[in-house]
Amino acid sequence: MYQYDTLDKEFLADRAAEFREQVARRLAGEITEDQFKMIRLMNGLYLQLHAYMLRVAIPYGSLNPVQLRALAEIGRKYDKGYGHFTTRQNLQFHWIKLADTPAILDELAAVDMHAIQTSGNCIRNVTADPYAGATAEEIDDPRVWSEAIRQWSSLHPEFSFLPRKFKIAITASAKDRTAAKVHDIGLMVRRARDGTLGFEVIVGGGLGRTPYVGPTIREFLPANRLFSYLEAVLRVYNRHGRRDNSYKARIKILVAALGAEEFARQVEAEWEKVGAAGDLPDTEIARIRGAFAPTSFDTLVNRSEAFEEAKAADPIFARWARNNLRPHKRPGYSIVEISLKGIGDTPGDASSDQMDLVADLAERYGQDDIRVTHEQNLVLPHVKLDDLAVVHAELRRAGLATPNVNLISDIIACPGLDYCALANARAIPIAQDIARKFENQDRAELIGELKIKISGCINACGHHHIGHIGILGVDKKGEEFYQLTLGGSGAEDAAVGSMLGPALPANRVAEAIDVLVDVYLRERQDEERFLDTVRRTGVAPFKEAVYADAN
Amino acid sequence: MKALTANRLDDGEVVFWKSGRWVERFAEAELFADPETGEAAEAHAKNQPTAVVDAYLIDLVESEGLWAPLSYRERIRALGPTNHLGHGKQAEGGAAIEALQHASGAARSTGRVNLIKR
Repeated sequence: MYQYDTLDKEFLADRAAEFREQVARRLAGEITEDQFKMIRLMNGLYLQLHAYMLRVAIPYGSLNPVQLRALAEIGRKYDKGYGHFTTRQNLQFHWIKLADTPAILDELAAVDMHAIQTSGNCIRNVTADPYAGATAEEIDDPRVWSEAIRQWSSLHPEFSFLPRKFKIAITASAKDRTAAKVHDIGLMVRRARDGTLGFEVIVGGGLGRTPYVGPTIREFLPANRLFSYLEAVLRVYNRHGRRDNSYKARIKILVAALGAEEFARQVEAEWEKVGAAGDLPDTEIARIRGAFAPTSFDTLVNRSEAFEEAKAADPIFARWARNNLRPHKRPGYSIVEISLKGIGDTPGDASSDQMDLVADLAERYGQDDIRVTHEQNLVLPHVKLDDLAVVHAELRRAGLATPNVNLISDIIACPGLDYCALANARAIPIAQDIARKFENQDRAELIGELKIKISGCINACGHHHIGHIGILGVDKKGEEFYQLTLGGSGAEDAAVGSMLGPALPANRVAEAIDVLVDVYLRERQDEERFLDTVRRTGVAPFKEAVYADAN
Repeated sequence: MKALTANRLDDGEVVFWKSGRWVERFAEAELFADPETGEAAEAHAKNQPTAVVDAYLIDLVESEGLWAPLSYRERIRALGPTNHLGHGKQAEGGAAIEALQHASGAARSTGRVNLIKR
């Protein structure tokens, strides 16, 4: 993991001190709320329904145990003993006092963390594959490039006031766990026939009120030219992106207006001007790569008697192993997904005690490494097969062993109207209803991979457009209603879902999901996932079943 | 019937206007039967930039013999999040809280203005 140097540490300390002074001036009435609002947002501090919310950046979703314990402690001291992991692999505290925020920023800075660029019209936290450095699927370690982008984009003077926010995702595996195609820029690591490392560059994807799957504007960008090319993309956007209408200010609107080909042409022209001077020297990339040097793995065989025996002896462990483990690149190791989707719990919430436990497990069994997924779960990327039974037992004691990763109850939900000032409707209780309806794990496994994503408003923090089943909360004369979409995907087969029909009242949503699942189980052929069946049949049979009563 | 609400500057707590000061419990909020008194209080509140942020009037509806905010969003502000019943003002319990929890009625919240995602 990357370590901050002295300069980084001094900067964070200065920034926290500066904010302390700004808060004092605001409380004393020396600056107005209008003047202060932009300052607090630049430090990740929002005012929501019940309190302030602080959004802490977790660079490319990567944490060490010291950092996770610091977050747990902040949750305990300044919040209500918990935190909420988000779809940008960040952490939000929902019960923060303005007057406490400078002290919190000091505590974050002490563990090389901050809330800078978690809000505002700048380049936000980079999303990366949470299995980076652990999966055999990857061509290269995406954290190296994510970290280089983090350094390049932090306080970049030219890109600190873009027309709108800007989000980048990087994946180095064919299986995309970052939703790269619905980011402002999605980078997919590729290797050319001659072995050269590079990126497929996707620009202009996005969700919100105008969802787009981004087009590829360059099939192969040599890796050593990444930064000049990013600069060219950002410059074209900064110059031509709309500033007159914030609903049309994201780069996706510009790319759609110009057409991908013309946008790409303008980027190439700008890239010529930027030239190689805009690139990071190879030595700098090598230095960063050094900070992600492969963890020291033991030489093991890819079979653990202890693991096999535990599975045979304990069906609960066997079920968890079936659903929450992923293959590791090294023999004798596994990637462990920790579900933050306990049945009836709030998706993405973790108590301070749970965070402490995960930190302990990472230290004892997981090479000091913890990841956050954009699907609001945690990952221990490097656990020995021999240790899985004890890790599971500890997780289970803490309520963290729900065996549902990628299943129907592994639901993404934004905070919704329970917390968010922008929301039209609640998202969390809908997720809780659905999870309870599908509590039977045998049935959940029979259904297989099914991604439900819920947003409480059109801004789409809950990624509803790319849910296999998407649920969007709307406000109908002050009442909560929910529009369903089918067939979306945020993975390598990205697609925006199709609307099912008229919005449903809150108490009919879980029941409608049950109907959709029944149709799927009736219609599915061979090994089809829910998504595959929807794509083959279209929404018609699903629509007919859900709205049968109304006909 | 209306009440005046805002978020307190230093901690973000939801507060309600009561005869020249801010209180945390909706049950203690001053009720405005005529529009002018409410608007006068709102104008006064907007002149208290070191006390509160974003003061606005909300519509009320009768519930179990008491008053409750008409919009769902405002009821959640007055109670706390529905996913953590131990968090927020609702944790205190009692008849006034229950009246809010049982209230029905729907309208778009007057607080939902000029909102843009940051």
